[in-house]
Amino acid sequence: MRINPNPYPDLLNDIALTQQQINSDEQQIASGQSVNVPSDNPAAAAILVQNADATSRADQFERSIGSIQGEMQSADSTLNSVISSLQQAITLGTEGANGTVNAADRSAITVQLQGIQSQLVSLANLTYQGSYVFGGTATQTAPYVLDPTSTSGVTYQGNSNVNRVTLGNGFTLQTNLPGSQLFSAAGNSMFQSIQDLINDMESGNNIGTAVTEVGSALNYVDSQRVFYGNALNQLTAQQTYLSSETTSLAEQQNTVGGADLTVVISNLTNSQVSLEATLQTIGKTAQINLFDYIR
Amino acid sequence: MSSLNAILATALSGLTAQEGALSATTNNVANVNTPGYSREVPILETSDPVVVAPLTFGTGVTLQSIESVRDPILEAQIQQQTQTENQFGALTSALQQTQVNFTTSSDDIGTSITNFFNSINQLSTNPSDLSTRQGVLTAAVDLATSFNNTANNLSTQRQNLDLNVVQTVAQINQYSQQIAGLNAQISRLQNVGENAGTFIDQRQQAIDQLSSLVDVSVIPADNSLTLTTANGAPLVTGQQSFPLTTQATPSGLHDIYSGGNDITSQITSGQLGGTLQARDQQIPAIQTQLDTLAGNLATAVNGVQAAGFDLKGNPGTNLFTPPPANNVGAAADMAVAITDPSLIAASSDGTQGSNGNAEAMYALSSSPIIDGQSPTDYYSGVVFNVGNDVSNASAEQTASSQVLQQLQDQRASVSGVSLDEEAANMVQYQNAYQASAQVITTINDMMYAVINMTTLTG
Repeated sequence: MRINPNPYPDLLNDIALTQQQINSDEQQIASGQSVNVPSDNPAAAAILVQNADATSRADQFERSIGSIQGEMQSADSTLNSVISSLQQAITLGTEGANGTVNAADRSAITVQLQGIQSQLVSLANLTYQGSYVFGGTATQTAPYVLDPTSTSGVTYQGNSNVNRVTLGNGFTLQTNLPGSQLFSAAGNSMFQSIQDLINDMESGNNIGTAVTEVGSALNYVDSQRVFYGNALNQLTAQQTYLSSETTSLAEQQNTVGGADLTVVISNLTNSQVSLEATLQTIGKTAQINLFDYIR
Repeated sequence: MSSLNAILATALSGLTAQEGALSATTNNVANVNTPGYSREVPILETSDPVVVAPLTFGTGVTLQSIESVRDPILEAQIQQQTQTENQFGALTSALQQTQVNFTTSSDDIGTSITNFFNSINQLSTNPSDLSTRQGVLTAAVDLATSFNNTANNLSTQRQNLDLNVVQTVAQINQYSQQIAGLNAQISRLQNVGENAGTFIDQRQQAIDQLSSLVDVSVIPADNSLTLTTANGAPLVTGQQSFPLTTQATPSGLHDIYSGGNDITSQITSGQLGGTLQARDQQIPAIQTQLDTLAGNLATAVNGVQAAGFDLKGNPGTNLFTPPPANNVGAAADMAVAITDPSLIAASSDGTQGSNGNAEAMYALSSSPIIDGQSPTDYYSGVVFNVGNDVSNASAEQTASSQVLQQLQDQRASVSGVSLDEEAANMVQYQNAYQASAQVITTINDMMYAVINMTTLTG
């Protein structure tokens, strides 16, 4: 049978293919990635797009958690101060309820209680990064102002709305409690109880009842404070979850798109050997034909 | 009875025949590296014998013809495979440029979509903060720019491919003209019974090259041949060539005409077919997907904007310029409609601290707003499609290139010049020539003897 007398185009083609393989291997080694363009593995490329999206989102959730955490910690510690102030008011009220104190003493206590009242207003008007924390979603107006015409001694200028922030796939967290719920809820109003105590202290009647009212207001605020404690715990738990998610996303990225260097380097070595062999073949056979032997 | 002169003539026929055969070998050796050359073989035949009853005497050898060795079926297969190989070659190289736009980078569309929604998530934690709002605007502008750049790159690529189409058509016309000219020479030679092998080789070479450009059907005719595109548009009929023409459409791209008929969509193979496929089908399909993504995303974001309130408590206005009807050109035209960050409608109740509407906007990132998919899922589908297009085209190209190589091997095994073979032939013809010459010398001696004998006797 007659064979192709000119193998060079084939050999050159083989060389080109081998060199292409070498280029691709070198690119994988240099980038550490097996998917450098979508056509390297279309399905993997699509997964990697989603992986990059999920990774970047998880990073953003962690940043958002960081932003919220500060505000919540600040709110939590402010509520702590609110409770201390209320305890102080109870102490003063108990002192005033004692039959031994005279009108002048009560008047002095009243002044102290009024000081606590303004302190509570100031605490309830906590701002974090330029926004009021306890005004519901009305964050640009001070939630409480002292108002002698109001029975509770203050006017609430905020609203009762809350914000929820998405901090994970399917995980949203309420990030605020409005003052209307925390400090001036009907029947559990801290400000009402303080104003009542002040009024009773001034008049000298029913001080004991007013002190009890402040005590129950304190318990109520304390029970509401649990919201922040829980939320902070949830943030920490979510952080832990997100960091493990990021780790598993990185693992997926590596499994789907990472270059298997052992395989790639071994392929590269094979390709180089094959290239050398082809070149040697051409070098040797190129010189031989029958014309060399006729003479 | 045979005479000495007759024997001399017989010996001479041997000399002439071997000389002719050697010339075929010489031509083969000379053309060993000529592309498309088919080796020639001398066809030797025994001359008609002379009958002098009861004996029959041979009268030597005749060099009947010198024929080129070729296999027409192989040639046809090679043409077809050349068309396929070049079609997918052109398609692959076009789409490889396309897919560069879809590799993950710091500013590809996928990353920009993620960054945009991340900026909204950040805004959600502090909806009244102006610098965070500015972050959303910046991310929106980056997103629009990503869409614009990718869409523009695709348009530019189509324009470049269009340029390629026009050039390829000019090349096709050149080859058609060349083939028509060769047809003329071949039929002139064949009409007088000459071997037109060299011209046939050249024509075959031109047809192969034409096949690499466009899908060609070859219809052999007596001493000539007709070429048409696969769908029947004439390119060459005998000695006449029919040039294809191009004409710009309103879109700026060129259609291809044959004698007044638009045959653009009928060209499916060869480099031209692949280029047209990329220009008119694959890249437009990707453009449409990008438009769908950009348009639906802009519309959805604007819809959420309208449902909320900006920092001043006013109802939200469009964040993105509304996309064109049916989203045609939405990716190229995508633009951010506002420059004032306070106009972002993050609030759901009109207060500055509400993030309800920002949350609603963030929820778009995982809502089925683009043909039933989330923006990122849809985009990852686009990336898959692009990668798959390239990968398929490239696999087809590799496969057809291997088949083509095998076919070319086969053709070379039939038609290729082997130097070993030619060397052996040369020795063979040389030996035969020397032997015939020796016979002539011997006859000469015999003739001399006869002449001398006559002289002595006389």
